[in-house]
This record gives sequence, C-alpha cells and structure tokens, in this order.
Amino acid sequence: MTMIQPDPADLEPIHPYSLARISHVALQAGAVLAQSGASVRVVHEGARMVAEGLGVEVLGMRSGYASFEITLARGHHSFTRMIQIGPHGVNHRLDFAVRELLKRASRGDMTPDAIEAELKRLQSDTPRHPPWLVAIATGAACAAFGRLLGSDWLSFGPVLAAASIGQGVRHLLLGRRFNVFVVAAIVGCISAALGGLGARLIGSSTTELAMMASILLLVPGVPSTNAQTDVMDGYPTMGSARAVTVIMIMVFAVTGLWLAEFVLRIHT
Amino acid sequence: MTATWIAMLPHLAHQAAFGALAAAGFGVLFNFGWRTLAWCAVAGALALAVRTVVQQTGGSLEAATFAAAFVTSFTAILALRWLGPACNAVALAGCIPMVPGAFFGQAMLGYMAVAADTTGSSTAQIVAASQAFVRVLSIVGAIGAGLAIPAYLLKSRQF
Repeated sequence: MTMIQPDPADLEPIHPYSLARISHVALQAGAVLAQSGASVRVVHEGARMVAEGLGVEVLGMRSGYASFEITLARGHHSFTRMIQIGPHGVNHRLDFAVRELLKRASRGDMTPDAIEAELKRLQSDTPRHPPWLVAIATGAACAAFGRLLGSDWLSFGPVLAAASIGQGVRHLLLGRRFNVFVVAAIVGCISAALGGLGARLIGSSTTELAMMASILLLVPGVPSTNAQTDVMDGYPTMGSARAVTVIMIMVFAVTGLWLAEFVLRIHT
Repeated sequence: MTATWIAMLPHLAHQAAFGALAAAGFGVLFNFGWRTLAWCAVAGALALAVRTVVQQTGGSLEAATFAAAFVTSFTAILALRWLGPACNAVALAGCIPMVPGAFFGQAMLGYMAVAADTTGSSTAQIVAASQAFVRVLSIVGAIGAGLAIPAYLLKSRQF
C-alpha cells in the first residue's frame, strides 16, 4: 500500500528523478530484502544505498513486520512513502543477489527504472532448488536432528521420510497461501504421525524422539536469531514481532505434534 | 588425558557429521547456493564439534552452545576472503542444528499435560516443563549472543 503525496521536487527540471520515484525503488529493494530473511539493519542499509546512489538524502526509515516506510529529502523538499512487506521467508541467493545489485546502484550509475527492472528479474530468475530436493534435504536435516537428540538408527529412515513428506505438504499449502500458523499445525501433525508410526512399525525404541525430530523442520531458526539481532541493532519493535511469530509457529507445530500423539495413543 | 580424547572421538565425529548434515539440509531449504552449502556443512560440523567438546569437558549445554556459536561466527568472519559478506549467514546456518526446537516441544507438551491434569499432582511436570522452557530461552539467547558478539567486535560488513 502506498500513500501518494504531491512531490514539489517534480517541478524542478534539474533533477531527472522525482522523490516519489526514488522512494518507490528504495522501498521495493528493502521489501525484497526483508522478505528474503535479512535483518532490519541490512534492509535499511540497502534502501539507503539506493536512495543515496540516486542523489537524495535519507531523513529516516521505519520498519514494521508488515510495512516499511522511508522519508527522503532533496534541498528543502521531503517526501514520505510506505510499502507493504509480503510474507517473510528465507532465500539466501535472492538476498545476496539483491545486495550485489544495491552495491551497483549505490555507485550512482543506474536509473530507477533499471534498478526496478533488475529487481523484478532477480525475483523471477534467481535459481531455487527444486521442491523435491528441498523436501529430501529437509527430511535429512530432521533425521540428523533425531540422531543429535539421541534417537536410534532404526528411526532415521522414518523421520527422513516423514519430514520430507511434511516439507512437501508445507510447500503445497504455502503455495496456496494458507495461513502460516495453520500450516505449521497441519504439517506438525502429519510429520509427527508419520514419523512416529514409521518408527513404531520398524521396531524403534525411540518413537517419541522420532516424532519430535519429524517436526523440527518447522522451527524458525533464522527468524529467532534475526529477532535478537534486530533488538541488538536498535529495532526492538521488529525484533519483538519476529520473536512472537517464532513462538506462535512453535505453539502451532507442537499442537500438531500433540494431536499426532493423541491419534497414535502415545503419552509423554 | 589422551585416552579420554581418543575415547571421545567417535561421539565427536558422530555429532559433527550430523551437525553438518542438519546445517546443509536447512541450507537447501534456505536456498543457499551449492558452493555456500558446502561451507554451511563445515560450519555445522564445527559448531557441533565445539559444543560436544565443551560439554564433554564439563560445560553446561548453554555454555557449550554459546562457545560453539561464538567459535563458528568468529571463524566464518575470519574466512571472509572466501565467504564474502555471506559469512554471517553461513555461521547462522551452522548454528541452526543447535536451535532447541525439541526443548520447546517438551515444554509445550508438558504444559498441555499439566493443563489436562485433574488430580492436582502435577508439580513435577510443571517444574520439568518450566525448566525446558527456560532452557529454550537460554539456548536461543546463547546462540544469538555467540553469533552477534564476534560480528560486532570484528565489525563484520553486511554488504
């Protein structure tokens, strides 16, 4: 959502780009970084690089969990604009590709149109691992978690399979824009039930650990450390919002696990 | 002393190997590139190795986690030449296997059981659940502090 205000700087022919145009590009860059899992400090630094590369001064920025706001100035004129931030995720390759773009933009040899086009291209063209590989890798990570927690070798395969299926289901549901917390509960239930059932059928003596390990794909590790980084960097609002989101996701994931335990008649 | 260290090696290797697998697995989920994924695995192995050594020498899980995160972050920043600005992200991925999701699960399930208890004899369960919850907070705090302190001290650049 953007708030459009009249931009007096538009009347000054000496400047090729209006403050509105620059603010829009800077906000877009910041929003992509935020959605890719960057901390607030990186988001603000990125937006500042764009704005300063295009020849304006940044008077202030404010980041919330769902919106990002910037105030730019040129001479006696200033301009404030806000943009909505979409679902938060983690996408390392996109994050660092955008940072490289912003480094180029900060040198001042890119137009707002070129930066915007490059941002769009990066969002559509930055490679992603195929969903089947992500599912198997996530399953392997959860099986490794199981071993680190002390589960036996027999449960390794069931946890790998259960968490892989859980990740596949999560990919499908999030792709259909289901609520992230509801998805955590559903995936938690499915993964824990499959992991526990598989471990039990195969004769594992650590069924409960297998169920727990099967839902660890849902643990939001990056947001939990970003929450602390944001607070340490002086952005307690964003840090708190991230921390609350982490707790909520875990509560829903454990609710799914609890349902699976109820279904499998396992009592902790 | 040497015999103790030799006896510890299989467990150390086990923890490091599965730390590497967990970090690399989550690295794929976070869409790290192939080259960076290898570094994530190295960081995960290093973090779990340090944590295991500190625990084996008598340190608490929280202290061991802090030491592991600190060493991983410090090493990643020192490897800036090869990793570039991604060093902080690699250190973070290496510490992901230490995030205490299982403790959080134990705490929540414990509280749910306490809430469902009608006999009034759930004091031990409340204590166990609360203990698990406190451990979640202290371990997450240890990871965050261990990752952040070297980054601030060495002024690790983000771009």
